[in-house]
Amino acid sequence: MAAAIETKQLTKSYKARQAGTINVVDHLDLHVEEGEIFGFLGPNGAGKTTTIKMLLGIIYPTSGEGFVLGKEIGDMDVHRLISYLPERPYYYEHMTGLELLKFYGSLFGITDKAKFIALLEKVNLHRDMTKTISQYSKGMQQRVGLAQSLLNDPKLLFLDEPTGGLDPIAHREIRDLILSFRDEGRTVFISSHELSEVELICDRVAIINKGVIARQGKLTELLKGGRIEITAEGVPESLLKNLNLPDSNLRVLASGLMLDMPEENDPNGVIDAIRSQKGRVISVVPRRKRLEDLFVETVTVKGGKS
Amino acid sequence: MKRTTSPLLLAVLVVAFALQGFLQRTVIFDQWAKYYNPGKGKVLSTMMSPDQLLAVLAGFREITAGILWVKADTFFDEGNYDAILPLIRLVTLLDPNEIDVYATGMWHIGYNFTDEEQRSDRRYLPSALALGKEGCRQNPDTYELFFEEGWLWYHKIDDDYPNAVKWFLEAQKRPDMLTARKNLLGMAYQRTGEIDKSIDTYYNLYADAEGRYKKESAFGNHQNRDTLESNLDNMLVRKVQRGYQAETEHRPLNGYDVYPPFDVGFSVKATVVEPNVIRFEGTWNVLPVGTRIRVVLRDLKYPHAKPAGMEWDFSNDVNLDPPRDQTFMQEQLFVRNRRFNKKVDMSKDPTMYPFTSDNYVLEFYYNPRSAPPHIQDKFGWSGEGMTDKNFLNLNVREGQRVMFASLPITRDMIKRYGDWVDKTPVVKTPNYQESSSGADKDSDAVLKIPSLRTLGSSTVK
Amino acid sequence: MKAIFAIASTTVGEAIRRKVLLIILLIGVLFIVVAPGLGILSARSETTVLKSFMLGVTQGVSAIIAVILTVYMIPNEIERRTIYTILSKPVQRWQFLVGKYLGAVMSLLLMMAMMSAVMALMFFLQQQSKNAAEIAELLKGPMMYFVQMSLLAAVAIFFSTFVAPLVNFFLTVGVFLVGVFFNPLFQSLQDNQNTATLVKKAAWAVNTFLPNFANYNVQNPLINQNSAIQNEGRYYLGITVYGVVYICILLILGILIFDRREV
Repeated sequence: MAAAIETKQLTKSYKARQAGTINVVDHLDLHVEEGEIFGFLGPNGAGKTTTIKMLLGIIYPTSGEGFVLGKEIGDMDVHRLISYLPERPYYYEHMTGLELLKFYGSLFGITDKAKFIALLEKVNLHRDMTKTISQYSKGMQQRVGLAQSLLNDPKLLFLDEPTGGLDPIAHREIRDLILSFRDEGRTVFISSHELSEVELICDRVAIINKGVIARQGKLTELLKGGRIEITAEGVPESLLKNLNLPDSNLRVLASGLMLDMPEENDPNGVIDAIRSQKGRVISVVPRRKRLEDLFVETVTVKGGKS
Repeated sequence: MKRTTSPLLLAVLVVAFALQGFLQRTVIFDQWAKYYNPGKGKVLSTMMSPDQLLAVLAGFREITAGILWVKADTFFDEGNYDAILPLIRLVTLLDPNEIDVYATGMWHIGYNFTDEEQRSDRRYLPSALALGKEGCRQNPDTYELFFEEGWLWYHKIDDDYPNAVKWFLEAQKRPDMLTARKNLLGMAYQRTGEIDKSIDTYYNLYADAEGRYKKESAFGNHQNRDTLESNLDNMLVRKVQRGYQAETEHRPLNGYDVYPPFDVGFSVKATVVEPNVIRFEGTWNVLPVGTRIRVVLRDLKYPHAKPAGMEWDFSNDVNLDPPRDQTFMQEQLFVRNRRFNKKVDMSKDPTMYPFTSDNYVLEFYYNPRSAPPHIQDKFGWSGEGMTDKNFLNLNVREGQRVMFASLPITRDMIKRYGDWVDKTPVVKTPNYQESSSGADKDSDAVLKIPSLRTLGSSTVK
Repeated sequence: MKAIFAIASTTVGEAIRRKVLLIILLIGVLFIVVAPGLGILSARSETTVLKSFMLGVTQGVSAIIAVILTVYMIPNEIERRTIYTILSKPVQRWQFLVGKYLGAVMSLLLMMAMMSAVMALMFFLQQQSKNAAEIAELLKGPMMYFVQMSLLAAVAIFFSTFVAPLVNFFLTVGVFLVGVFFNPLFQSLQDNQNTATLVKKAAWAVNTFLPNFANYNVQNPLINQNSAIQNEGRYYLGITVYGVVYICILLILGILIFDRREV
């Protein structure tokens, strides 16, 4: 598969008054496949928006290079194929939803009214398209934003915190829309710090912290390595100790023993061993790793080093 | 990604920059200065406060000027004349096209500063003239201020008439000059002694009036033509009677009204009756009313002074601060029954008559050019028919026979200081005789009623 | 070109809804409406004061509108992040800047046309007997003011590409004041023989190179009609060309800076 986004050592630094030079984005190597929903995660101030602005050519990299849809960033031709939904955007409030689409459409030279209405239908705003933006709720504004971002039938969408500040229902609407983009074969680049959202929709993620990529990969792979808790009674403590399981904890409870260990450690073998000693397995509780754990782990551990 | 600048764009920039500079210097600026500059380059000397400047900036020059002028009007009503001067200055600076303010300002400066006896403060006259000149520079396309300037010479200064003629001629060049006002040029020419030019002026005006009457036989046009006709008629008769025709043809003057010249027999005594109060008494052998003798009391070293007057037109700058430590008093002495007797009280206006120097001069002056026609019928336009065995003067006014006498006087005398505390100071001409002696009652030497209608002999027994 | 026009017309749509501008415009119109009552404020003919006041209000209000309208134009786009949605479309920065500028000029045209129309109407009502030619003559003022304000807007747009709005406000107003007031000073300096050559040269440079706003203050002969102006058309053409050239200079410089700027 071809890369939708590719950056090589992309760096943006600012001169700070006291601290010398600060690398807001530090030698970033990013790789986004075509057709996937890519989550770009990081705490506030990690450099997410700066990276997106560089990819869009709104600000200029200090060093390194980047390619969007195979062209060097800043190339105006690419702008016909991509779109961008900024974080909490403001639209010209005096316009109606339809006028807003007309305006943005005219920037592409699109004047097809049927297309505007179809897009508004897609985001479920066609009944409100003659209301001015100032009368729209936040969720409606976000949806009209998505509609405008689809004007040019983009191959690649940049969504910056697309669900920020929205209520749960609006969340869900936006989420469904984004998922539909994948079905339509578009690449979606989502920057967010709302991990539960990303976990639900992204194929791959990158975690950025202080300008540096900490993790990058398929979500399923990154979330591998859950733990498992096995509680048993009627077995000697020595038995479980002698199994010599790496990275495991053994605790003595009133009701028996509880073993907490990584998934990889062959839980079946452990259960078999307990049963062979006439012990009784009370519960086996798998604890899957969540994106949040990964994030906290990454940001606190890796963040500390820089 | 480096942002590169196209050399072509830079070239365009340079060319455009040069082009705008070129336009500004060649096409725009001179025309701006000629037609659109509101102050015609006088702003450097403007002493305006920031808020006034802001109002001006906002394009409200004219309205600001208008409001200030309304304010000046209330000062007029209150008689607070001093407060008006800066307003006049400010208004004319703000809106140099306020012709009425220039005109009113000239009149105000020239006429309104008076003492308790309604004598004008003539120290201000050069300022009034300068204001008028500035107004003319700022408004060169209308006749009004040129006419006003001429009028000031003609009526207020009442001397140096060529200046009046000069300004009236300038006014006449402007197409908006009112016809009715063109008469004054004819009168002014009489006072410069250029009688033929005066007559030419009347001929032209008459032709104009005739043309208008032929076009429209309205009553006004008819009357206007008749008035001009009679003026012209008078002029032609006087030209002959007063011997002007003979004089220009170098023929002897005997037989004309002006021959022989009549001796006016001037004498004067000035008595300082109280500090700063002077009584002028004296003789003048002309019986008919209408004689005014000018008396001037001034600092001996008054700047720009000349006999019985000053070089009024010495300044082009409007200076609202005349020499306040100097004195220049000018008054008219009216002759009744061949004598004049007038008390001039300068004690109530110390700002107008400060008397700060030691030495002063009293000057007495009579110029037939300002005389009424019935007296001019004898004396002629330039004094051909007038003489005075003691005080005839051919020098103080070029080309004219005038009476001029001057007497020194000191500050101590005027203020009755020192020796003069209990001795009454008197200065007089040597020929002055107390009226009780009756010497001047001799009726033979009296000019009684010279008239166009008498038989050409001016002294009647 | 379509993009430029779209940005420009959106800018107009926004400008004519900005309350500050509308209030200023309304005050200006009110002043013009009451103007005929101000004739009593002068010893001179009412017409002179009326014209002076109406033209003064039109020019002053237009200048305030021009500055307020343009000073915040670019910073607002950045602050509200609308600029990102636009620049992520196939729109070049220069197109954005030019579009914004043209929008400002079109808004000014609208507002100034409205004031001029009210002015013409009030003048007509006041001077019942006067003919259309005199009103047309009076409207030469606002026409030239429009070029002046367009130049002023270009100055503000130029500064807005690299300074904050408040600083821009003072810079723009400063340039305007110098441009309006420097001419007489320049003249006096050149005429004065005592002025040092260096000062003269500096004055010459300022007068030649800074935008000269005084050029457009053509009201003097309109208010005091006492002389026939020669080559009036050529002068108007001259200052219009001058204005357009200068506007181009400012826009090109603005684009060069804006292109390098991080927004």
